[in-house]
Amino acid sequence: MERRRLRETSIDLFAKLARVSWPFVLLVVLLGVVGYAALYSAAGGAPRPYAEPQAIRFAIGVLAMLVIAMVDIRFIARLAWPLYVVGIALLLLVAGFGHISNGARRWVVVAGVDLQPSELMKLLLILALAAWFRRASWERVGNPLFLVPPILATAVPAFLILREPNLGTAVITLSIGGAIFWAAGVRWWKFALVIALAAVIAPIAYAHLHGYQRQRILTFLHPSRDPLGTGYNIIQSKIALGAGGMWGQGYLHGTQGQLDFLPEKQTDFIFALFSEEFGLVGGLALIGLLALVILYTMAIGLACRHQFGRLVAVGVATNLFLYVFVNIAMVMGAIPVGGVPLPLISYGGSAMLAVMAGFGVLLSAHVHRDVEFPDAAGG
Amino acid sequence: MTAPHDHPFVPARAAARPDAPARGVGAPREGAEPRLEPRLETVRVTVPDLARRSALERARGRLVLAAFGFLALYLAVGARLAWVMVIHPRLPPVAERSPARPLPAAAPRARRAAIVDANGAILAVSLPSAALYADPRQMIDRRAAAAALGRILPGLDVAALTRRFESSLAFVYVAREITGTQEVAINRLGIPGLYFLPTERRHYPEGRVAAHVLGSVDVDEHGIAGVEKWFNRRLMSDPRPLRLSIDVRVQAIVRQALARQIATFHAKAGCAIVMDARQGRVLALVSLPDFNANRFALAKPAQHFDRCVTGDYEPGSTFKLQTLSNALDHGLIHVWDQFNTTHPIFLGRFAITDFEPVTRWLYVPEILAYSSNIGASRIGLILGRDRERAWLRKLGFFTRAGIELPESAMPEVQTRAQWGKATVMTVSFGNGIAVTPIQLVAGAVAVVNGGVFYRPTLLAARPGAPPRRGRRVMKRSTSRVMRQLMRDVVLSGTGNLVHVAGYFVGGKTGTSQKIGKNGYRLHSNLASFIGVFPGYAPRYVVYAMVDSPIGNKKSFGFATGGFVAGPAVQDVIARIGPMLGVMPVMAGTTEAKAITAALALPLHPTAPPGAIALGPGNPIPPGAADAPVPNGPAVGRPAGVAAPKPRLLPGVPARRQALRSGAGTGAGGGQRVAAR
Repeated sequence: MERRRLRETSIDLFAKLARVSWPFVLLVVLLGVVGYAALYSAAGGAPRPYAEPQAIRFAIGVLAMLVIAMVDIRFIARLAWPLYVVGIALLLLVAGFGHISNGARRWVVVAGVDLQPSELMKLLLILALAAWFRRASWERVGNPLFLVPPILATAVPAFLILREPNLGTAVITLSIGGAIFWAAGVRWWKFALVIALAAVIAPIAYAHLHGYQRQRILTFLHPSRDPLGTGYNIIQSKIALGAGGMWGQGYLHGTQGQLDFLPEKQTDFIFALFSEEFGLVGGLALIGLLALVILYTMAIGLACRHQFGRLVAVGVATNLFLYVFVNIAMVMGAIPVGGVPLPLISYGGSAMLAVMAGFGVLLSAHVHRDVEFPDAAGG
Repeated sequence: MTAPHDHPFVPARAAARPDAPARGVGAPREGAEPRLEPRLETVRVTVPDLARRSALERARGRLVLAAFGFLALYLAVGARLAWVMVIHPRLPPVAERSPARPLPAAAPRARRAAIVDANGAILAVSLPSAALYADPRQMIDRRAAAAALGRILPGLDVAALTRRFESSLAFVYVAREITGTQEVAINRLGIPGLYFLPTERRHYPEGRVAAHVLGSVDVDEHGIAGVEKWFNRRLMSDPRPLRLSIDVRVQAIVRQALARQIATFHAKAGCAIVMDARQGRVLALVSLPDFNANRFALAKPAQHFDRCVTGDYEPGSTFKLQTLSNALDHGLIHVWDQFNTTHPIFLGRFAITDFEPVTRWLYVPEILAYSSNIGASRIGLILGRDRERAWLRKLGFFTRAGIELPESAMPEVQTRAQWGKATVMTVSFGNGIAVTPIQLVAGAVAVVNGGVFYRPTLLAARPGAPPRRGRRVMKRSTSRVMRQLMRDVVLSGTGNLVHVAGYFVGGKTGTSQKIGKNGYRLHSNLASFIGVFPGYAPRYVVYAMVDSPIGNKKSFGFATGGFVAGPAVQDVIARIGPMLGVMPVMAGTTEAKAITAALALPLHPTAPPGAIALGPGNPIPPGAADAPVPNGPAVGRPAGVAAPKPRLLPGVPARRQALRSGAGTGAGGGQRVAAR
C-alpha cells in the first residue's frame, strides 16, 4: 500500500521523513563529530580557526542533505543534465578566472563563497551518467556508439580538472565514471581494452613529451623528488603515524601535530594527526567507520528498485571510497599524490558540501526507492 | 529458464509483483517467456521491462562485487596502516627526538678522575672540550670553509686542510681540544658538514709545579708519564679524586729555592725532595729543568728527565750516614773511636784522600762533620763487603725505590763478585755506587726516624687509615746517635751554612765528582745536602742536589754541597716548617736548652768507663771483617807511583768501571777519589 502511495509525486512529507535511513544519517553525524574533534586538536586544542566554522558548515550540510532527500528522485534525474552543464561552466570559469592557491587554480568565488567546482562536478557527473544509463538495456549498453556521449561527459570534466592542475581529483573523476560504466553493465572486455590501450599509449606519449613536461609529470607522480615540498610532508606524516603506535599519544598530545612538524594537518594530513593521537586502534576505527558508511551506501543502492538510484549509489560510494583510499594511502606514503582531503574530517567546505549533497541524493533515492520512472518503458 | 540474458528468475519475480504493468508479452528473443505464460497468466512482462530488470540485476551483482572490492582494499589499507604505525614505525631524525628521560640534573661525570694534593688542591683535572671534524661532502664551498676555520683556529694549516677537504674523504679531523669560545665561533660560521665530538681535555692548573710527579696524558686521556701513567687504570675507573701526598705549597717553595741555587751557581740542573720522616710520604719532588705539564709534548728530553727518580747519581758523602749507622748499629765502632786519617789510602792504583787533609787521627763525629773519606773507608773496611752489602740491601739501595712513578730507575750497583776491597772503601763514602735521590732520601729517613724504613710513596694517608707499616732496620739508639752526629755536621762541620733558628737542623753534605766519558771529571760535580728537621724529633727530611755548579765569590769559589745545596735546604726548612705546623723552638728557653743538651755530642767524645776506644794503639775492633786494611800506614803503592794503564772489565758498562779505569791523571799520580 505504501509503495503505491509513494509512486505518486504528492507525497506526505512526514511519510518521507520516516523513510529516511536514519542509521545512515547517524553514521554521517558521527563522522562529523570525529571531524570536529580532530580539527579541535589541529588548532592546538581550540575551536577556532578550524573546528567551529567546519561545524557550522557541517550543520548546513546535514540540513541540505535532508532537504535534498525530500526531493523526488525522478525530479533530480530530470535535472541531472542541466546541472551537469552548469558544472562544466563552473569548471571553465575556474580555468578562466579562478584564483590560485597552493600553486593550483581550483577555486572560484560564487556568491561570496569560495567554491571548488571540481568537488561539485564529481556529483554532477554521477547524476548525469546515472541518468544516461538508468534505462539502458543490456543490448544498448553493448552498443559502442551508445557509450560515446557518457565517455565524453566523463572526459571533459576530468580534463578540465587535470588542467587546474589536480591529478588526484581528475583520477577520482575518471574512476567514478568508470565505476558507473561498470555498474551499468559495460562489458568486461571493454574495460580491459581501455586499460591495455592506456598502458600502450602512455609510454609512447611520454616519449614524445618535452623535457619540462616530463619533469612536470614526474613531479606529479613523485612529489618526493622535491624533498622540501611534498616529500617533507610525507616524511613528517609517516613520523606522526610511527609516533602514534598502537594506542596513540593521547588526544591533544601528538607531538608531530601539536608541535607543527606535520604540515597541512587540518586538511590533507588530518588522518596522520588523528592517528598519532589515537594510535592504530583509533585509525582503524576511523577507517572502519568510513567503510561502514560506504557499505551502507551500497546497501541503499541495492535496496533501490530503479537503476538511477543504484547507479547514484555506486557513484557516491566510489567517490567516498576513493577519497578515503587515496587520502590515507597518501598519508602513509603509499601513493605520491596530494590535494585529496579526507571527507567529512578534513577542514574545507567544498568537498564536504559536495559529499553531503551526494548523500542527500542517495537518501532521496532511498526515500523514493520504489518509485516508477515515467519513461521506464520508453526504452 | 533459458533466457539469453541468463536471468531465469526474472519472470518469476515479475510474476510475483502484482502491481507490474500488465502488457503484452514481448519480443521473439524472449522466446522463453511464453513458456511461463500459461502458469502465470496474470503477469504481463514487457520487453523493456525485462531489459530494465535484467539491467537492475546485473547492477546488483556488480554492486556486490564492487562492495567486496572496496572492502578488500580497505583491509589492505588497514594492514598497511598497522605496518607504518606499529610494526615498522618511522622514527624522527635524532636531532628532533627528545630524550626519553629528562637529562640528569647532576653535572656530567668526567671520564678521568682528578688528581689533588694532600690538601685537596687540584693538580690535574679533566675539563669538557670538543674535537672538530668535518664531512666535506656536505660542504658548499670547501675552500672557503677551510679559510674560515683558519681564521678561528690559530695554528691550523689552511692549505693542508683545503687539500683534505677537497679529497673525497667523508671524515676529516680538523682540530682537537676546541675551546668553548672557538666552538661558538665555528657554529656561528654556519658551515654545513662541521661537527663537534664531545671530548675531555686534561688540565694542570699548577703548570710546571709538580710536572714530573704528575706526568701527562695522551690525546685519548691515557696516562703516558708520571702518576697519570702509574695510576691510569685507577683514574679511569674510580671517579673520586686521587689524593697525593704532595703538598703543592711545599712543592712550589722547594722548586723556587732550588731554581735560585741553580741560577746562582750557573748549574745545569738539580733536584730536591721533601719527605715525611715518619711515614715516608713525599711532600715535594722537584727536578729542574722541568716542563709545563699542559705542554708535555713540547718539552725536551732533558726537561722530561726526572732527576729524583730516574737519575742514578753517586751519592757522595751523604752516603757516609749509611756507613756510620751500619758500623754503629753492629757495635763495631762507637762515637769515641778514632781513625787514622793522616795520609791517603793507596789501594792498587787508587788513592783515597780527604778534601781537607788533617795530620791527626779523627774521632767518629769528626769523620762525619769534616766528611773524611779516609775515615769512612777505614770504617767500611771494618764492616767488610758482606755487612756493607746486607745493610745497603736492607735500606733499599739494591732495588727500585718503589715510588709510584713509572720512571723510577734501578740503582747501579756492583755485583758481589765485583765488590772487592776497593768497592767496600769507595761505597763507604758514596762512590762506586749510583742510586736515585729518592732512594738516598728514603735511606736517610730510616737513619733519623728511630730506625724504621718506609718505602717512599706519593699517596696521601687515607683518613682513618692506620699508619703505614715500616720495617725496622736499626736500633733506636743508633738512630739517636746518628741525629747527634748530623747535628754536629751543621754545628761545627761542612754543613754550617744550614742554620735555621729553632729547628735544630741536622744534616750531611755531599759533593761527588761527575763521571764523564773517561772517568771522573775534575771540574764538574754534584753538590748535595740532606737535612732533617726538627733535629730532636725529625718530622721531615729535605734533600737538594745541584748538578755542575760553578763556584762564585759568595761560596769563596767552592762548589761543594755545603755551599751550593745547603742554602736551598735552609731556605726550604725556614719556609715550610711553620707551614707544616712545626714551630721553631725559641732560643734561650728551657725547652731549647733541653733539646740542645739532648742533641749535644762533643767532637772528641770520651769513652765511658770500661770501654776500650779504638785509636792509635788499638786500630781494629773485634769482629772486624776478614783481612781489613790495617788501620795503620799506607797500603799498596805509595804516592808518586805511575798509575797502570786503564783496564776495562769485559761485560761491565764503562760507566760502572769508571772507578777502576780512572782518567785524567793528576800531577800527584794516583787518581784522587774525593768526596765531601
